[in-house]
Amino acid sequence: MPRELTIGFAGNPNCGKTTLFNAYTGANLKVANWPGVTVEKKEGRFQFHNSDYRLVDLPGAYSLTCYTMEEQVTRQYILSDDVDVIIDVADASALQRNLYLTLQLIELGKPVILALNMMDIVEKRGMEIDTHRLPEMLGVPVIPVSARRKTGLDILMHAAAHHAGHPSDTPLIHHHGRGASSMTKSTRPAKEGHKHQHHAEYAMVYSDLIEDKIDQLIDELQARYPGLQNYRWHAIKLLEGDRELLEKYPLSRPDILDRSYEQDIINQKYDFIDEIIQEVVVNREERSAVTDRADALLTHRFWGLPIFLLIMALVFFLTFTIGDWLKGYFQMGLDWFSQGALGWLQALQVAPPLISLIVDGIITGVGGVLTFLPNIIILFLALAFLEDSGYMSRVAYVMDGIMGRLGLSGRAFIPMILGFGCSVPAIMASRALENKRDRYKTMLITPFMSCSARLPIYVLFSQMFFPEHAMLAAYSMYLLGLVVAVLCAFLMHIFERGKTSRDRASNSLLIELPEYKSPSAHTIFIYVWEKVKDYLTRAGTVIFAASIIMWVLLNFGPSGYSTEMDETFGSLLGKWLVPFFAPVGLGYWQIVVALIAGISAKEVVVSSCAVLFSVGNVNSAAGMASLSAILGGMGFGPANALALMTFSLLYVPCAATLATIKKEAGSWRWTAFAAAFQIGVAWLVSFLMYRLALLVL
Amino acid sequence: MNLLEGSPGSVYRVDGLNLPLELARRLEALGLFPGSQVTILRKKRRGAMIITVRGTRFALGMDIAEHIAVRGESYAS
Repeated sequence: MPRELTIGFAGNPNCGKTTLFNAYTGANLKVANWPGVTVEKKEGRFQFHNSDYRLVDLPGAYSLTCYTMEEQVTRQYILSDDVDVIIDVADASALQRNLYLTLQLIELGKPVILALNMMDIVEKRGMEIDTHRLPEMLGVPVIPVSARRKTGLDILMHAAAHHAGHPSDTPLIHHHGRGASSMTKSTRPAKEGHKHQHHAEYAMVYSDLIEDKIDQLIDELQARYPGLQNYRWHAIKLLEGDRELLEKYPLSRPDILDRSYEQDIINQKYDFIDEIIQEVVVNREERSAVTDRADALLTHRFWGLPIFLLIMALVFFLTFTIGDWLKGYFQMGLDWFSQGALGWLQALQVAPPLISLIVDGIITGVGGVLTFLPNIIILFLALAFLEDSGYMSRVAYVMDGIMGRLGLSGRAFIPMILGFGCSVPAIMASRALENKRDRYKTMLITPFMSCSARLPIYVLFSQMFFPEHAMLAAYSMYLLGLVVAVLCAFLMHIFERGKTSRDRASNSLLIELPEYKSPSAHTIFIYVWEKVKDYLTRAGTVIFAASIIMWVLLNFGPSGYSTEMDETFGSLLGKWLVPFFAPVGLGYWQIVVALIAGISAKEVVVSSCAVLFSVGNVNSAAGMASLSAILGGMGFGPANALALMTFSLLYVPCAATLATIKKEAGSWRWTAFAAAFQIGVAWLVSFLMYRLALLVL
Repeated sequence: MNLLEGSPGSVYRVDGLNLPLELARRLEALGLFPGSQVTILRKKRRGAMIITVRGTRFALGMDIAEHIAVRGESYAS
């Protein structure tokens, strides 16, 4: 049986690579991380003419330097034996920039097919690309496709299959107007001081100075490191001063590697690209009128911001109004299911602890998390729409000024706003941020935004202790959360801020703004499906385990299974933690236990209080009166209530959020740090609020 | 002058990048280096701007724009 063919998909961000990839694989994807790094790796399989193909989606990259994780992963993978052919997806309407990556991919020496995507847009704009001359100049096959209209897909796969074994069977025909001869010729005595005639061998030929050095380095590398895959590529990278390769293959030839030739190499590549564009593209039009008109409004210096806020309000409305409406039905279904399971288990005469574990622990825990599914689906439909249409990148520009002052990317605004609804999708949305530092910072502060699950706590305690100003007390919590989030971001920003504006530039905004387009339903569907699958997997694993742990804590004690809360490990833990909570006015073990239980889901704080203080129907007037009387008898007054609300707002987010943070950050250590940080902030702010309230109230 | 001082609708030619090495290399990979032509499309009062380089639009923060030396093209409009 012939070995299945592995095809790597490479390309710039926004070139339609993922759409093309999805067009082949559909939703049948395996998503994992590249070994050792948190860069996503997508793999799919597909059959064509009775052969099996394995498709690997490489991270979007503009070049193949060692400066970013994505680029390192891409080039290491292409150099490995795992991949047979590279399909380089290029946005034909921005060929000039896309060809830069193409030239580098060709240099890596693996068979490359150039897929010219978005040819429909090129035609619509009245441009023409000479698809006969282009392969002659590059020495690789060029196949026009449209990922959105699914045209050219079979031809592309056919070319890939045929091209697999032959890196360079397309003849290269260059007639350079200026030619390499007009470049500055090396004065250094080169290998033989010869004129280089590489134009029949390589698409990209550099000036004689650089070609001399490449030849010398190849000799040197062959002597020192026999068995390397592609000497020319290694030589070029060494000339560029590539850190990774200089460390891996040190050469003591300061005469050749006298400086970094990176800039020369970049410039000469772009010179060649200019030459290609001159010959190949007819009726070149740099800018799209549609995008210009849309941008005139959407990125307007005054209107850009209100329009964005309006769009976010709409997303928020859809997610939490329609989502919550559907969630109600989910909840009903869950109640019905849990009642049914309870009855069924009782009929089977299963031991009560086991029934409790299944019904109170697992079904309630996992089911409670599943009820967020409608919110998540709607939110990610909306976000996928914004992303695929090209608007999302503009958000970074529109919000840059305001968020920039907090040292955050403009896009960090989206997770923060979504945090008012639910921290889980908000943290998932932080993945859209461009850099890791921003993602981590956003994940630290997003849980401070008061999610809807915390509202029941505010409602209960503000009605009990601030009956006249209940609304005000509840809403001030939302404001407090926002202030704490902004303050934390600002403090972190000041702490890490570079001294000069030249240092700051490294964290400054730099993002491509793709052309606007009508989003593809297929891409959106696959995007949403991936998120949902992700979320479901988590509900089945981490949250499942967390539910069991919480159940054990609250139902087991030194004497075994117990239905009395004050005999459980939870209450022992609560009593043990009382000294820690006393300074903030929460030194009551029942309150501490309720807060611990609230980690499973924040609204549980309310139901736990009801159980711990043995008050039935805590949300009714009578229930509230009796709870308030009990608490009052313990010396728990308005200042304590304020401290409790503040602490509930800020302390560790719920288990589902923690699991999401773990997933996005890829590290338990960092997740533990985030939790500790949030407890610290919660304690500090509650302490201040409590002391302040004692003075004022 | 630097790019930050430029005005929307005008075309500039890059003279130099006074930026940390990695950032400079990233910009160069995007086609922005000495000799490249840059058009400022839009600009906010304080800060970020939208430019085109080699047919592609980018949003650029002020801290970067400030360190890109440019000169006006003769046919700037």
